[in-house]
Amino acid sequence: MTKNTLHKTLLRLVDIKPGEIPNALLMFFYFFLITCSVYIIKPVKISNFLESLNAEHLPFAYLITAILIGFVVSLNTKLLHAMKRNVYISLSLVFFISNIVLFWFFFHWEWNWLSMIYWVWCDIFTITTVTQFWILVNDIYHPRQARRLIGFLVSGGLLGGIAGSLLARFFAQVLGTTDLLLICPFLLFPCILIVSILHRQTQDPLDDKKRKTTSTEASKTGYIESFGIIKKSRYLLILSAIMTTAIIITTMVDFQFNSVIELALVDQDERTAFLGTFFTGLLVFSYLVHVFLTNRILKNFGMRLALSIAPLFLLTASIAILFIPASFFLIWAIAIKGGEKSLAHSLNQSVRELLYIPIAPEIKYKAKVFIDMFVNKFAKGIAASILLVCIFIFHFSLEHISLIVIGFSLLWIFLNRWITREYVGNVKRNLKIKWQDADKFISETVDIDMTKLVFDTLQSKDRSSVLYAMNLFDLIKREKMSPELSSIIAHKSDQIQACAMDSLLELDGELLLPKDDDTLYREDLSTQIQEIMSQDVYQQVLKEQLDKIVDEKGEEGEVSRMEAAKVLGMMESSSPVASELNKLLKDKSPDVLRYAIESAGRLKRREFVPRLIAHLSTPRVDSISSKALVAYGNKITGILKDYLSDPDVNLQTRRAIPDILEQVGTQRATDLLASELKKKENDVETEIIEALYKMRTRYPQIQFPQKPVFEKTIQIIKRCYFVLLEMHDLMTDQRKDNLVSDMEKNLARSLKHIFELLSLVYTPDDIIKAYQNICTGTKKSIDYSIELLDNILQREVKEVLLPLIDDISFEDRVRKCKKMIKPLEKVKFS
Amino acid sequence: MKINSRKQNDIIIFDIEGEIRRSDISDVTLHQLVKDQLDSGNKKILLNFDKVEFIDSFGVGEILASYISTHNLGGQLKIAKISQKLYLVFQVTMLTKVLDIHDNEEIALTAFLEQ
Repeated sequence: MTKNTLHKTLLRLVDIKPGEIPNALLMFFYFFLITCSVYIIKPVKISNFLESLNAEHLPFAYLITAILIGFVVSLNTKLLHAMKRNVYISLSLVFFISNIVLFWFFFHWEWNWLSMIYWVWCDIFTITTVTQFWILVNDIYHPRQARRLIGFLVSGGLLGGIAGSLLARFFAQVLGTTDLLLICPFLLFPCILIVSILHRQTQDPLDDKKRKTTSTEASKTGYIESFGIIKKSRYLLILSAIMTTAIIITTMVDFQFNSVIELALVDQDERTAFLGTFFTGLLVFSYLVHVFLTNRILKNFGMRLALSIAPLFLLTASIAILFIPASFFLIWAIAIKGGEKSLAHSLNQSVRELLYIPIAPEIKYKAKVFIDMFVNKFAKGIAASILLVCIFIFHFSLEHISLIVIGFSLLWIFLNRWITREYVGNVKRNLKIKWQDADKFISETVDIDMTKLVFDTLQSKDRSSVLYAMNLFDLIKREKMSPELSSIIAHKSDQIQACAMDSLLELDGELLLPKDDDTLYREDLSTQIQEIMSQDVYQQVLKEQLDKIVDEKGEEGEVSRMEAAKVLGMMESSSPVASELNKLLKDKSPDVLRYAIESAGRLKRREFVPRLIAHLSTPRVDSISSKALVAYGNKITGILKDYLSDPDVNLQTRRAIPDILEQVGTQRATDLLASELKKKENDVETEIIEALYKMRTRYPQIQFPQKPVFEKTIQIIKRCYFVLLEMHDLMTDQRKDNLVSDMEKNLARSLKHIFELLSLVYTPDDIIKAYQNICTGTKKSIDYSIELLDNILQREVKEVLLPLIDDISFEDRVRKCKKMIKPLEKVKFS
Repeated sequence: MKINSRKQNDIIIFDIEGEIRRSDISDVTLHQLVKDQLDSGNKKILLNFDKVEFIDSFGVGEILASYISTHNLGGQLKIAKISQKLYLVFQVTMLTKVLDIHDNEEIALTAFLEQ
């Protein structure tokens, strides 16, 4: 089989890259052989125990295992840190092989308590070899890679278990229960070989150095420090609590199952064969659940549901025993044990490994060993103690023990809900904001309006003392006249009248701005001016003056018109002379226009709106017009929307409107903008999305309608798919490099829009972090970003978005997108 | 508020003293005095604010009303010696464009002659 064919074949089973094949296959077979041995050793363990002792003694076995495993874990941790990983694993395998031979030998002596020792040894063997396998997985793969390959590797373990159980099933009555053990050394020797090959293939000096450093530090740590690490992290504490609860339930169910088996099957070899059959069925069922359900459940329903299935099943099954007759107990035992183990081997195992993803590697390693080995056995010890008390003191029946299982199942459900929330929080903590929103940053640090006004004031000083005074008055009104600003404005004052203004700033003798009560002064001045302007005589005088000014020509005329435009903006909106502004809004001079537009924004009369909207496409006054329209606020959002959705309106004008609606920043403005998302083709789509995004970041109280946002997101994703496919077709033609480069830019822009849209319906901070880390982050932060999105986005969106952002080759991306086009068409949002 | 009037050539000069504010309205207002002069055929009016300590919007209204009345009869109204603060108010309200304001009485009188 060529490499390519092998890759294609494996691709049907697992999302694997060509370079990952050799290691993945080795790891697959390693886990296969380990679990194959485990499932030969296991039926022998149960059958021998029930034969030599009886089910009532099982809690003692659980308890002794729990106590002894502590020492084994301690030894295991020390050896792991003291020795090279490959040497340690190989040596421990040699040790277990020799143990198996010894047990086989001593079993012939028919010493009853040996089955108790074998039980404990069997648990140590299982936990050590399986944990070693997962440590290897963590060493070899980074989180995202592990997530892709875990399913495949777990399949290896399940298939190994099936093979082992089948061997036990068929050879139990041929060879006898004890002689089954002799098959195991033949399975474990190849594992030593695999570890050696893996070591050679994955040897990375940097990794070795890093591991050595970690090992040196870690070797100093014992249980207390490992416990300290877990105690400091709420997440790890919940994870430990989940493990404890699950193990207690498993032990209770195991006890119930074995008790029923002891009563139902008397002959030892028959019992071993039955257990072989049971484990085969169980593992086949587990495998089917794993292959057909695990990924689907994780992909479609997320981690929360995946975590809840096992406790819900156990809760239901435990309630069921309270209502069935004793004759059905064997069927019930097979069902509950089968269900519990199937889920533990498939869904629970995958989810548990995923729960370790957001933990920092140096903590993960220590915590994982501690939780998997120590917490596991500690929980078993608790379970054994509960069972001992219940059986020997309270004489509990199987039904009573189910009541305990019901209680722990409810606790498990609660803990699962808790850890799901913590999981997302932990992934988020691994992501940092890469850059700040420039608009937001500038608006937070610089008062743009104020700066403009200072410039206007400075500029007007040389042109007209009246304009200067008016602008100065604006500054005073805003209470922004700092001594520094006063000094800048008064600098180079060479006009007599302007100097008179400077005195306001304490620069020329008379002090008009009282130091101790300048607020009162401002109010007084402002009130006085307003009162003057509201007088009929003033209106009358000014009207006559304005009639003359509007027709004035030349530079002087221009200045007068500027002054007129400015003063009109200072009047009451209802002033009869304010209508004069209409003429000035048509002025050809940009300077006059600027003041007229500003005044229109202050007066907020509807009659000025069409003229202001028209100026949105006049280059020198577009931004002032936009600001003036913003000042109108909510009352003109409807008019703006009409212009925005009218294709006959100048495109530049339409493009300016979303930004105005964004600055208005009301719910109505948002709704009107969002309603534009419903259009499939829109020349102003970019501006609308950007405006909505700004709204989201600036006005957290605003609600965004989900349906149009999701629909637009899907529409853009679909567009990206087609751009990708087109790029793929063009890439072979070098003459079209420019076109491809344009397409890449288009894709990047679209991706930005997708994330901007997603931020409208999800927490913006999460989406921004994910987007920024995908754009510029390291491979690891990209992984975390995708992990975060995988957990927070709703299924319909993430299914079609992930192919666009996943860390895969261009070819793989194109292939995935092609595959997703049809499902994309069917996506519907209610 | 106290208002004295005097005549220099054909120009009526009103010397205003004290504070011109709404709360201090006397029987005869500045506008009324100006109107009386206009009725008497004196169409050149100079308002001297040298001794004015305070003027509120009502006072400005009086000045403007006087200006309108004078202007409508083809007369001339000039203002002299207003405080810097009042000048600022006039500038902000664009009244410096309407009213003829001078630094002192002499300059104002010369301006009458020049016209």
